[in-house]
Amino acid sequence: MAGPVTPDKVESMRFNDTVVGLAFIALAATMIAMTFSFPSFPGQAYGPSLFPRILGGGIIFCALVLILRERRAAVAAPWLVLADWAREPRKVLSFVLTLAAMLFYVLASDRLGFIPSAFLVQIVLLLWFGVRPLTALVVAVGMTLLVHWFFGSMMLVPLPRGILDSVL
Amino acid sequence: MQAIATAFGLVFDLQVIGVILASAVFGMFVGAMPGLTATMATALLVPVTFFMPPVPALGAIVTATAMAIFAGDIPAAMLRMPGTPASAAYADESYEMTKKGQLDLCMGVNLVFSVLGGIFGVAVLILAAPMLAEVAINFSSFEYFWLACLGLTCAVFIGTGDPVKGLLSLFIGLAIGCVGIDPAAGQPRFTFGNVDLLSGINFIPTLIGMFAVSELLRGSVSLDQGSTMVQQQVGKLMTGIGAVWRKYWKNFFRGSILGTVIGALPGAGADIAAWVSYAVSKKLSKEPEKFGTGHLEGIVDSTSANNSALGGAWIPALVFGIPGDSITAIVIGVLYMKGMNPGPSVFLQTPELIYAVFIIFILANIVMFPLGWAAIKSAKQILRVPRNILLPVILIFCMVGSFAMTNSIYGVVLMVVMGVFGWVLEEHGIPIAPLILGLVLGEMLEQNFMTSMIKSDGSFLFFFERPIAGVLGVCTLIVWGLMLWRMLPFGRHGQPVPAGETAPP
Repeated sequence: MAGPVTPDKVESMRFNDTVVGLAFIALAATMIAMTFSFPSFPGQAYGPSLFPRILGGGIIFCALVLILRERRAAVAAPWLVLADWAREPRKVLSFVLTLAAMLFYVLASDRLGFIPSAFLVQIVLLLWFGVRPLTALVVAVGMTLLVHWFFGSMMLVPLPRGILDSVL
Repeated sequence: MQAIATAFGLVFDLQVIGVILASAVFGMFVGAMPGLTATMATALLVPVTFFMPPVPALGAIVTATAMAIFAGDIPAAMLRMPGTPASAAYADESYEMTKKGQLDLCMGVNLVFSVLGGIFGVAVLILAAPMLAEVAINFSSFEYFWLACLGLTCAVFIGTGDPVKGLLSLFIGLAIGCVGIDPAAGQPRFTFGNVDLLSGINFIPTLIGMFAVSELLRGSVSLDQGSTMVQQQVGKLMTGIGAVWRKYWKNFFRGSILGTVIGALPGAGADIAAWVSYAVSKKLSKEPEKFGTGHLEGIVDSTSANNSALGGAWIPALVFGIPGDSITAIVIGVLYMKGMNPGPSVFLQTPELIYAVFIIFILANIVMFPLGWAAIKSAKQILRVPRNILLPVILIFCMVGSFAMTNSIYGVVLMVVMGVFGWVLEEHGIPIAPLILGLVLGEMLEQNFMTSMIKSDGSFLFFFERPIAGVLGVCTLIVWGLMLWRMLPFGRHGQPVPAGETAPP
């Protein structure tokens, strides 16, 4: 299933399998621990806790195989491999900004309203990604209104009105 | 017959046809844009179709995916960048043809054989699904439990390069599916007292996060990777297609059969169908040395295969409620949301719905011809749409789509969390597709398991007492045995799959 792979380029950012395995073991152990607070039915060995416990066991098993496999490899894997883009500050910022845009929307859209927050998210990202200001403005305004019309008016999704409550 | 007539009535409605055409154009565009996949097209369509009746909703998904899988061939030939992972298998080959000045022939072959392959897959779907449904109507919770196990195992086994990571992904998906009220006893699990989590992890925001947001995150750091278009003018597309058919009709049938079968296997979709049939074509070819130099033979095989896989994937989805690929996993999620639990009883209770899906499938493949033609002719304009404009726009669509699913910010939060989680998993070579299948099938699996346990009073032997259940159970256990053997690190080292190679099928 493999396409062409160029070995000199690192496209993905990854921890080694030991770190990944340990993280999943911790998660699965927490999950199994939580099942002990579920009620059990007398005389029945299978209640709501059975299935999550099987799955937790499965996750731990896979994680252990991953760890074991890496321990047996001839060359030790570094615990973190950085992707090439992580060395370019501009690209790191692009990544962070994309994430931050989503977080901003989550935190602000209720108070600010859909129209201002969607517009802000788009105009900032468009400008950062190097779109010319006029194009960026047209796209941001146009798409915000289009989405608002389609989802808000056609599909009757209660998009937050926010500061424009009195106008809309 | 009555049902077929009703189905025609349902499909040939002005609004439904309008939805189909609009989603066809949408599918063409998404498929032709490198970096936007057919699965992503489906994920973004779901919030829009959520408010529609079942027939136009399914019609939109069927049409958009069929178009997207074909349209992925266009940038593969022109830019050497497959528009969807399903075209990756022969992107180099197509590009070599373009460099030799055979872009017209290459695009013509891709269009014609995509249409024919698609129709082949639908034909098999129409013939096989009702027959299988008649068998499946007698299934009880035991059969369904084993079938779900077998399907999920299959997804891990053939759908992923590294079975350990595939299995891990599957378990994570099933575990995420446990959140909410448990299906047997009604006990809330892992909800942390949160009201939103009581109803479970909402499927659509998860999907948009995993398939679209993670893709956007990856895209945000690779916006500058452009490539140059070799050729420019598209001429007559149909010249020489007849000769290709006479020479390679066997390849068409081989590719379509392989594609349909691989599509029908849970977990493997159009992209794997294309890779496998390309490899088979090369192996069985009389002139394998020509492969990779701009040779048509492999393209015929694989471009037929990836479109026929779409129809194949619907067979287990409609009959057993077990998705054949991530697209049908989404479809099953949509069906559940509309209160229609997929399975053999749908064939009895609402046959007109099944026929409507068949009709739409045929219709979509027919519409693909003129629309594909138009897409090829206007490819230069489509491919010029800059990705730096698309990224923020798609982001807004993702967020509004997720919001619409819960009518609260919870949907968006879930989308962001799952998007980042999906991105992290793929960076580590852990495929997403098994996780999605696990999430979709988790409740059904647990319900059938618990029902069976209660019926059998906790005895495992009961799981093998009915004849079909017994056969399925033994098969599952054999496959599990083989898998354990393959997974455990006894000398044989697994080949880790590089991230990005595990794009969702």
